[in-house]
Amino acid sequence: MTEVHVVGAGMTHFGKHPDRDAADLGAEALQGAIADAGIGGRDVEAAYCGHVFQGMVTGQRVLAQVGLAGLPLANVENACSSGATAIREAALAIRAGEHDVIAAIGTEHLTSRFRGALTPDESDPEAAVGATMPAVYAMRARRYMEEFGMTRKQLALIPVKNKSNAARNPLAHFRQEITIDDVLESRPIADPLNLHDCSPVTDGAAAVILMSDRAAKKFGDGRAVRLAASTLRTGSVDVEPTSMTFEPLTWDTARDAYERAGIGPDEVDFAEVHDCFSIAEVLRVEGLGLFGQGEYPAAVERGEADIGGRLPINPSGGLLGKGHPLGGTGVAQVVELVRQLRGEAGDRQIRSARVGLAHCRGGKAVGIEGAACTVQILIR
Amino acid sequence: MTGSTAGVSFRPGELEVHPDGSGNLLGSRCRTCGANFYPRRQVCSGCLGDDFEPVRFGREGTLYTFSIVRQSTPAFEVPYALGYVDFPEGVRIMGQISGCDFDDISIGMALTLSLEPWGTDDDGTALTGYRFRPREAAHD
Repeated sequence: MTEVHVVGAGMTHFGKHPDRDAADLGAEALQGAIADAGIGGRDVEAAYCGHVFQGMVTGQRVLAQVGLAGLPLANVENACSSGATAIREAALAIRAGEHDVIAAIGTEHLTSRFRGALTPDESDPEAAVGATMPAVYAMRARRYMEEFGMTRKQLALIPVKNKSNAARNPLAHFRQEITIDDVLESRPIADPLNLHDCSPVTDGAAAVILMSDRAAKKFGDGRAVRLAASTLRTGSVDVEPTSMTFEPLTWDTARDAYERAGIGPDEVDFAEVHDCFSIAEVLRVEGLGLFGQGEYPAAVERGEADIGGRLPINPSGGLLGKGHPLGGTGVAQVVELVRQLRGEAGDRQIRSARVGLAHCRGGKAVGIEGAACTVQILIR
Repeated sequence: MTGSTAGVSFRPGELEVHPDGSGNLLGSRCRTCGANFYPRRQVCSGCLGDDFEPVRFGREGTLYTFSIVRQSTPAFEVPYALGYVDFPEGVRIMGQISGCDFDDISIGMALTLSLEPWGTDDDGTALTGYRFRPREAAHD
């Protein structure tokens, strides 16, 4: 069976783009990925497009913008894991031998669809009593503080770190460094989380070109990065209430990926994780087995997760700093992994990185530990 | 409890409203393995059995965690306290917390189910929803 390689990576600026739409952004990202892969549009054999709120056949509208017709294309919705799920679907089709060159696109024009706090679907019983996504994460933060003694200032260090990284990323939504006091004094959203603890409402898109061994040999030109694992899971249905400070879904999805890639968590050099809220980064890296449970806040305080640290987390700025256009997020994480692993990350370049991991987790449904979780491992 | 005019349940399959204004949250219990679920399920995630009976949960629970929500959708007036409450039947149910100052809410506190007015439906019919109140305050 063929391996899968990421050969092209492209993304738009992440931010507020009132004059554009999801198709237009997706097309820019796709054109960038095609150019980066050194191929022509006609070399793309199939496409998958991840988005959440952009309406019917968004992927087809992207392809129309770039003049590609006749390809098989499927639109993929899996909440914040939509783009990452598009990559997984593309990887499966390549492994199956069905295609050699596939585009995976993630796009979202979120500012035209949403303001303020994201909420679960209105049919959800928890949405009916006032659940918002920030509130759910705020509750997890409070429980984590109670169980592990994390201080509010320790939690604030996560947006401080990620926005410092974003300041070095020209495509990031936020380019300004912030202080702990900025976090603590920002507008309260859901106690203990303030505005700086929450990822912004962002427009943006990203795309990657995946190839089989055969196509990578033809087009790769030494720039291919191997997608060693791309795993997906849905959370288990709770039989009884479980801890909200650990994520079995994240661990199970990661374990699948480590097994597939033939590595352990100790071999990961850096990671892009789904920091939709400050507390989410804590839960993710501990769920991925990259840090011990209850240990991440102190590790951040010691600088271990900085770009120059032992295990850099979210060097792109993460969702908190780079922004979070839902469908675009998972693909943009892989774009960052590719750029870091190729040594093309400029001011935020991590030294001697060989193994990168990307983690997405999204959606909420009552009684399920988490809706959709993906882990991708890239090895250079 | 003033409740002479109990409204219609805001989610009839999940909250039962009695004529006296009291009520219970509803779920399902697996007859095969005994697991309880809120909301109702068609198949048990524990044993994959599909033989269920309806269950009325008790009104007393313990606060697992909470937040004061200060930004929400237009359907909810902010700020409000929101929490996850663990019930002895083995279910965790989210609800708003009322009947005390935000500063008096703490993890582990005992709470009681309280049926409260919940606006109206599209036809103007008064709806009844639920919140959780500190156990002492619920009996005043």
